[in-house]
Amino acid sequence: MASGPLRFRTPHIEELATAQSRQTPGFAWVAVSGGQGDPAKNWGTSNRKRQRTSLGGQTEQQKEALSARQQREIERKIRDLSSDNSKDARELPIPKRDGSSSGGGGAARPGKTTNTKRILASGKTFAHYLDDEEAEIIRTGRRDVDLEAPTQSAAQRPSKTPLHRRKVRENSAASVTPEPTTASSRPPPKLQTAQSSSGPEVVEVPVDSLADESLRLPTEAELEALLNAPPLTYNEARSAPPSSGAPAPRRFCETCGYWGRVRCMKCGSMVCSVTCKDDHDQFKCLKMYA
Amino acid sequence: MARQQTDHAPSHFPSRTLVLDNGAHTLKAGIASPDSRPDKCHTVPNCIARSHRDKRTYIGPELTAECDDFGELAFRRPVEKGYIVNWESEKAIWERSILDKKAPRDLQCEPQETTLVLSEPPSAPAQLQRNADEMVFEEFGFAGYARVLAPALSSYAPSPFASTAQSPSGLPLECLLVVDAGHSHTTTTPLYHGRPLHGSIRRLEVGGKTLTNQMKELISRTFDVHREDWLVGEIKEDVCYVSQAFNADLERVWKGGRHDPRRPDASVVVDYVLPDYETIKRGFARPHDPSVNLRNRALGIGTEGGRREHILTIGNERFVVPELLFTPSDIGLPQAGLPSTILQSIHSLPASLHQAFLANIVVTGGTSKISGFLERLEAELRSMVDSDMLVRVARAEDPVRNAWLGGARLAQSREAMEKVTVTRRDYLENGEGWVRRVFAGKTGR
Ligand SMILES: [Zn+2]
Ligand SMILES: [Zn+2]
Repeated sequence: MASGPLRFRTPHIEELATAQSRQTPGFAWVAVSGGQGDPAKNWGTSNRKRQRTSLGGQTEQQKEALSARQQREIERKIRDLSSDNSKDARELPIPKRDGSSSGGGGAARPGKTTNTKRILASGKTFAHYLDDEEAEIIRTGRRDVDLEAPTQSAAQRPSKTPLHRRKVRENSAASVTPEPTTASSRPPPKLQTAQSSSGPEVVEVPVDSLADESLRLPTEAELEALLNAPPLTYNEARSAPPSSGAPAPRRFCETCGYWGRVRCMKCGSMVCSVTCKDDHDQFKCLKMYA
Repeated sequence: MARQQTDHAPSHFPSRTLVLDNGAHTLKAGIASPDSRPDKCHTVPNCIARSHRDKRTYIGPELTAECDDFGELAFRRPVEKGYIVNWESEKAIWERSILDKKAPRDLQCEPQETTLVLSEPPSAPAQLQRNADEMVFEEFGFAGYARVLAPALSSYAPSPFASTAQSPSGLPLECLLVVDAGHSHTTTTPLYHGRPLHGSIRRLEVGGKTLTNQMKELISRTFDVHREDWLVGEIKEDVCYVSQAFNADLERVWKGGRHDPRRPDASVVVDYVLPDYETIKRGFARPHDPSVNLRNRALGIGTEGGRREHILTIGNERFVVPELLFTPSDIGLPQAGLPSTILQSIHSLPASLHQAFLANIVVTGGTSKISGFLERLEAELRSMVDSDMLVRVARAEDPVRNAWLGGARLAQSREAMEKVTVTRRDYLENGEGWVRRVFAGKTGR
């Protein structure tokens, strides 16, 4: 199976009989969307269309504003859930311990060399490093780690490595395509195969053995090419969204965690029942405006 | 370059090797020895924690050795998204854990006489690799150094598949797909004879910390635990499980609507007795007792020895939280679940290799210890691939220390070590760019 649809063991939420916008003050009954549609295309702010059809009793502008706000809210929540440090703890001072050279106090900045002084004093976060790298890829078309070793060292190497191996490595490194990538457009990882390289080791494959590609074992050269493929960047390695045909995202009651079946028109939260709606109205609603 | 070769002569290799799997949550450290067993490995909190109660700051191992009250601890972690980002705090933790006089005797080492095997997650930004290399040689002064992908270290650990012949120390498994479910994220790495297939590595951005943070949010709907990272981490470890039938489990614990109230299934709902860090040092779960009067319990009425018990009732949170590994869209994360992420890795390889990797999936990392994780992963993978394909999934015997154990076994083979290690002299002669190319496998040796 090359890339069949994602099959979840759990059926998605089915529509309730009461669905069609029966108006309760402050609430719209929401048609919880089924499995149709391409969720991959519905991520980000482009899911407004789907949101629009699922909300009743509001003007277009209200709905747009609500869904944009919900989207920002989701993104904020994911950021919070991914945070490594406790709130405000990033700058937590480090006390000095006996026998260690770290911590403040001394006249000199910590660090034994200019490099390590700079590294130790750096307040950069991961996001800064990631931005720097993405900017470098856009500027130069490659990461410096992808560069091949200086030619003289390659030439002077004693030939411990078999020739065909070195050939593949040079080819795969030389063909690192200067292709700027962004988080939104993630190119499929390139598989460097012997067929696409121009070195002397190109493998001639008999035509009839190509009939069933899946049974043909990779040649040693192909394997070497795979092993020498450059690492993906941080953004490229991220798991892709669910395939088209996957069930629409599930919604949960924000009060008790059961299925979310009713959407609050004021804040967009989902609840499961009148009981949870009451609780929501009394204690939780409008929190987003606070 | 000929002179270069002599630098790798065995005589230049330090005899001691420190294996350090520098995880975001804990670092796993130990000196490799011929009988490298997991119990030679120290597991140390990789954080600096500040207590709002006793106003003390705990560095790394001090937290487990000296801290009695884990309430309201704020954590500063040097590792962000799996990578060492803040070297100021990491240096303080390494010194306290490994290098200074207070470090455990069997860990203490003189960097000038030691080779460091340091783990790294896949897809690291180059500048962070450069920082690590410069710190290791210029600040700590290690004599030898190998920066290795953590999943590659895992390929040197013993195979968890009973039917697979055990390879001797220093020899990696042939075909292996390592699923590393760590604190920061979950990565899927296919390896061939211990060498990662870089173009096929994928990362699902759900890890132990995502689950803990989500647990914090859900519990805080009824009881504010936003400042209780440590406690919520323990609750997660104690009560969470991966559901094998999510919809059915969710039905079982629903309290019902106003007109059709239901009694939640008592086999799922638990009462969690919170620690007070005086009489109750660690919280624990027990079956839910609906007759319990929470106020009386809090006053110490009807409790064991009259102690005050604060109870948190936990229902669907038990399985809704770890469900994020399988259905990240539950929090709106635009990434496929873990089984599908594994298939993204495998399907990026030639079709003829699919079977070998599908049949050799090894799960490591602390998050993989959640009950039901392995069964659900295998069942979902099974349902997603053709029925004539063999799917085998196994959890490493010690998922937290598996990469460390692999590193310790790698260190037993001089030949394998020479391939991955750079000496301080190499670094001084060839510079950090050359060193980084060696670790990237771009410079053969
Ligand atoms: Zn509810
Ligand atoms: Zn509301």
